[in-house]
Amino acid sequence: MRRLRLPGLALALPAWVWLAVFFIAPVAVVFWYSFGYKPGLFGTHATDRLSFDRYLEVLTPTFFDTFVATMNIALTGTALCFLIGAPMAYWMAVKAPPSWRGLLLALVLVPFWTNFLVRTIGWQVILSPEGWLSQAAQTLGLPAFDILYTRGAVLLGVVYNYLPLMILPLYVAFDRVGEPLREASRDLGAGRFRTLWRVTLPLARPGIVVGVLLVYIPLMGDYITATVLGGAKGNMVGQLVAAQFQTAQNWALGSAMAITLIVIIVLSAAAVGAALWLVSWPLRRSYRVRLDSGVTQ
Amino acid sequence: MPGATTETTTGAVELHRVTKHYGAQTAVDDLTLEIRPGEFLSLLGPSGCGKTTTLRMIAGFEHPDAGDILISGRSVLGTPPYRRDVNTVFQAYALFPHMTVAENVAYGLQQRRTPRAELRERVSQALDMVQMRGFADRKPTQLSGGQQQRVALARALVNRPAVLLLDEPLGALDRQLREEMQLELKLLQSQLGITFVFVTHDQDEALSMSDRIAVMRDGRIEQLADAQTVYQRPVSAYVAAFVGKQNFFDGTVTADGGAVEAPSAVLRPTDGITAVAAGQPARAAVRPEFVELGIDPPSAAVNRAEGEVIGVAHLGEMRQFLVQLDESTALLSRRPAPHSPDLTVGQRVWASWRPESVQVFARGTATTDTSGYMPPPTIHSDEQDHPAHP
Amino acid sequence: MSSSHDVRILTSKAAAPIVRRELSRRGFFALAAGAGTTMVLAACTSPDGTPLPGATGGALENALSIYTWGDYDAPEVLEQFTTDLGPKITLDSYGSNEEMIAKLVAAKGTSGYDIIVPTGVYIPQLIENGLLMPLNRDLIPNIEYVDPAYLARDWDPENAYSICKAWGTTGFVYDTTVIDRELTTWNDFLDAAQNEASGRTSVLDDPVEITGIYYWANGIDWDTTDAADIDAAEAYLIENLAPHLAAFDSYPGGAAIPQATHALMQAWNGDARLGIMNSPEPDRWKWVLGAPATELWMDNWAISASAPHPEAAHAFLNFVLDPEFAVAQLDYIGYHTGAKDVEAQAREAGLEMLDLVFFTPEQLATMQDGEINEAQERNVEIWNKLKAAAGA
Repeated sequence: MRRLRLPGLALALPAWVWLAVFFIAPVAVVFWYSFGYKPGLFGTHATDRLSFDRYLEVLTPTFFDTFVATMNIALTGTALCFLIGAPMAYWMAVKAPPSWRGLLLALVLVPFWTNFLVRTIGWQVILSPEGWLSQAAQTLGLPAFDILYTRGAVLLGVVYNYLPLMILPLYVAFDRVGEPLREASRDLGAGRFRTLWRVTLPLARPGIVVGVLLVYIPLMGDYITATVLGGAKGNMVGQLVAAQFQTAQNWALGSAMAITLIVIIVLSAAAVGAALWLVSWPLRRSYRVRLDSGVTQ
Repeated sequence: MPGATTETTTGAVELHRVTKHYGAQTAVDDLTLEIRPGEFLSLLGPSGCGKTTTLRMIAGFEHPDAGDILISGRSVLGTPPYRRDVNTVFQAYALFPHMTVAENVAYGLQQRRTPRAELRERVSQALDMVQMRGFADRKPTQLSGGQQQRVALARALVNRPAVLLLDEPLGALDRQLREEMQLELKLLQSQLGITFVFVTHDQDEALSMSDRIAVMRDGRIEQLADAQTVYQRPVSAYVAAFVGKQNFFDGTVTADGGAVEAPSAVLRPTDGITAVAAGQPARAAVRPEFVELGIDPPSAAVNRAEGEVIGVAHLGEMRQFLVQLDESTALLSRRPAPHSPDLTVGQRVWASWRPESVQVFARGTATTDTSGYMPPPTIHSDEQDHPAHP
Repeated sequence: MSSSHDVRILTSKAAAPIVRRELSRRGFFALAAGAGTTMVLAACTSPDGTPLPGATGGALENALSIYTWGDYDAPEVLEQFTTDLGPKITLDSYGSNEEMIAKLVAAKGTSGYDIIVPTGVYIPQLIENGLLMPLNRDLIPNIEYVDPAYLARDWDPENAYSICKAWGTTGFVYDTTVIDRELTTWNDFLDAAQNEASGRTSVLDDPVEITGIYYWANGIDWDTTDAADIDAAEAYLIENLAPHLAAFDSYPGGAAIPQATHALMQAWNGDARLGIMNSPEPDRWKWVLGAPATELWMDNWAISASAPHPEAAHAFLNFVLDPEFAVAQLDYIGYHTGAKDVEAQAREAGLEMLDLVFFTPEQLATMQDGEINEAQERNVEIWNKLKAAAGA
């Protein structure tokens, strides 16, 4: 048994080293700094005296308001990405001719060929009041287009920047469910909708969870999309962290904010998961079949 | 679909001149087939012969380009799979991995909004029927292949369909399990009286279970008959080769029309040759179990040929010999072990077979590609090729 | 050597290439670079020991490494240095002072950079952390060509560590089709923001620039650390200005002016100039230098304390201060280089909109140096609150 497991561990070693060096270590450093303080005008942090004071400083009304605004954009953006990405991924994995799939996947990835900031600024140019979209609208006799620096523009940018992160895992998930199971379901009397509901979606759930987290987590930390397209309406909590590290040069407070954010993101994701689980409980219960009478109902 | 149909047509499946193309390829070609209510019918043929496509059209997963399909006397063209009174046991079982065994079996009943108590009752019965009652709360991944097979069967049968479609359901099982399941399937079918349409490329499966066998070739039915007829009186060299082992002799029909003269032997059937005209090329076939071997020359009244034993194999209740007749021809003989002569490799022997065991087929345009299934005789018996008993 | 130099000036009216340059100098990309910097976390302790004595006028090393803002020097000037004096130049760039400081501190004197270009207010911090090498002024006689107005600033009164590289100031730009009255002061800016330009006003995305508007408008010292002043600024900005803000945009010249996204924009002079030059309707926009007071920011040549090529670094500083290159540098970046006679040269070369580059002595007298002081933390806090209030 031991001899069999060793190669697996050895194979995973580079991944572990990578994770340790580039993820665990930096987070550990940030965690450590968050208990320190800013030692003076020109110092960024000191850890010779440790306390929870920075965490108390984090929880101000400004942080709370900004966090709520961020959460609002992140949740709405994730929901939009799901609502747009899931049918798209389903179509690609199930309905589209198999010979198209490579091309479709490539097209989904096209935006990634350009720098994140550049393509966001591209939208700024398109959406501006004198941009070509607005001019085209006016040529058609429609009113001038003025959605730049609104919440709508932010959500548009979010969908544009994050949609591939939703589509790819969903595509893989739907693809893995496979035609035979869908056929079996239809053979057993379930129509398309019930097949989707009881077979495809439950089996694609890991992919759905991955897609949602892949969009939600980076979105909570992203402030570039929101700032570029939302202007003053795109205030995001990531900016508060950046402001502490950069402008205020207070790495201790910035670290405490970053850690608080990580904790809240994890908690909020877990809360959403738990809520969905609870809400769907009666439904799952109704599908459950236990033969030994008296165990259920 | 109760009410509208009469007792006698429930479970009947009719295909009328059904054609199905995939691009330029014709999968099913003007096929007509009537499956009787309550019968066990096998669609037998090599891969690509159209048998699975035929099954999938009955299930509703494929739509014919031409022709009509009737189930229980009513056309089902345009009826989606979930509204057809048929259920399918899939090749790879297609059990839902996120549901327990009981939930898998209950799935079809839930779609019909069966009351809970009845649902539990019927699921229990179905699992009892396949002896899987004790596994009700397991997930499919925790089951062996044979157990999954039984669950798939229960999942389909619990819906009490008029027709059960089985798409190579035993293909993934090992041989012993396969033979057990063959028996069980046949038993179940006769108990339930449901029409079974069974797709297989395995002649043994078809022969051991079927009421009738439709041997398919290139999207058409080559022969439709009961197992014994298919085995003993194949209509073509193709069927003869596909069902059971054969010794083939290519030659020409003698001038009197009474025999096929091949380089290594002359083969004379009982009543003269009607299928092929005198002087024309023909292919004669003799099954290995009809070939007797002896040291002494047999009477000239039977077909005979002399040769050298080049291989001996023991197949349990049978013994198999390979006899070299001439440079290009080896003859396979199988005898029940207790009655077989003690022969060793290198011995000169006489092979003989009775006229009634000789089949003669045309060897021309109609049967040019029988090479598609004509395994050369081999002494190393592979397990699938043990003799079958009609 | 001046032939390529002349060609450069003749092509100066083509404004488009300048946009690209401006974008990379403290431009949009600073946003991305900034986002990256927050992850640059390494042990940060002051390097011990005093800075090296510096250069003595010995032989030049054969290499020179410059760490500066993206695209901040005319390439032909750098090439000329290598041609004339030998050392090969390696360029690396940063998007914010903090990024540059973090890198120097983290490298603990092994960064390998010779020349850096910090903004004035960061120089005390660099000196305190021992990151700058004292200049050997004997090796930089060309400092005499720098206008004394741009020497001896508050952050380095003796120019012991730094010499002016380029400087700019803050004002605002407005759309005369939206605001048809004459705006001349920060008070006018605040008034217009709450009236005609409500919802179409942007301010610089920098805490001290935003509080600066209030201080400059009300005759308060920009570098004040008085809690009462700071509270008053906070109250006013959040209650009166925040609801009318559309964006926090440090580079309205990049997109907002050419695309007429906003009607009233706080802006740095060089950026405003580029934006107006790039606008399809330049006459629509009006630039106003902040009044009665405003800022003067300055980027400065300095040498890293751990410079591996101090002789070449001093030689470069002396070389680049040669008046011969002043117009080429100004034309390339769009900001005043601090050279004495550059204004006359620039006018002679026919550069456009020079009233956004050169200012009268009276205007100059109203420009204040900034300072990083105890108020910084409050400024950042106000900035964050303002953003939260404007985003609500």
